[in-house]
Amino acid sequence: MSGTPSGTEPDGGLSPTLQAHIGRHVRAVFDEVAREPIPEHLLRLLKDLERSGDK
Amino acid sequence: MGSLRAFAVSLCGDKERADDLVQETLFKAWNHLDSFKEGTNLKAWLFTILRNTYFSERRKRRREVEDADGTYAGRLATHPEQHGHMDMQDFRAVLVRLPDDQREALILVGAAGFSYEEAAEICGCAVGTIKSRVNRARNRLADMLGLANVDIGADTSDTLGIKSA
Repeated sequence: MSGTPSGTEPDGGLSPTLQAHIGRHVRAVFDEVAREPIPEHLLRLLKDLERSGDK
Repeated sequence: MGSLRAFAVSLCGDKERADDLVQETLFKAWNHLDSFKEGTNLKAWLFTILRNTYFSERRKRRREVEDADGTYAGRLATHPEQHGHMDMQDFRAVLVRLPDDQREALILVGAAGFSYEEAAEICGCAVGTIKSRVNRARNRLADMLGLANVDIGADTSDTLGIKSA
């Protein structure tokens, strides 16, 4: 299924438009999780670690 | 921390496991704080620990989770938090079908905001390796989405409206 890429860019053969399109989607999928509120137990862990760090 | 979680999810495809992974990472990071050099990249360091933790866990569990990629990939692709956009769902579905190393490189560089050099350090490989993995990932995504066969680039006009096949 790998046809000859239409945009012959030096880095990968994809047109900038296509690269940007893909990049946008990758970021969107990633950000969807990244932007969620941090679960309570993880926040607590951070706080506990910080507190225990005061030697 | 958000991007650390997101990276963890991209590795194991399961939010619960991802959170466990993040938790372990925080513990390890804290216990090895003395090995972290001031002024170096904290974010990259945490990502490295998380990644190493994930892979060593996976090696231990290999027998238990023979089809790890399939299971986790399936869960990631069908995660309830959909936007309802066919695009996102399709994209997520093909994203998980990428080989691990390609998906990882693409996410580190394309979404987590690392440079090629930082990503190479996190993955413990050469910068050139990261670059070629990112390129291969993009090409394979384009292929799987059927975009490479569409004249999206040949057009001089902006044809961003083309959805995945």
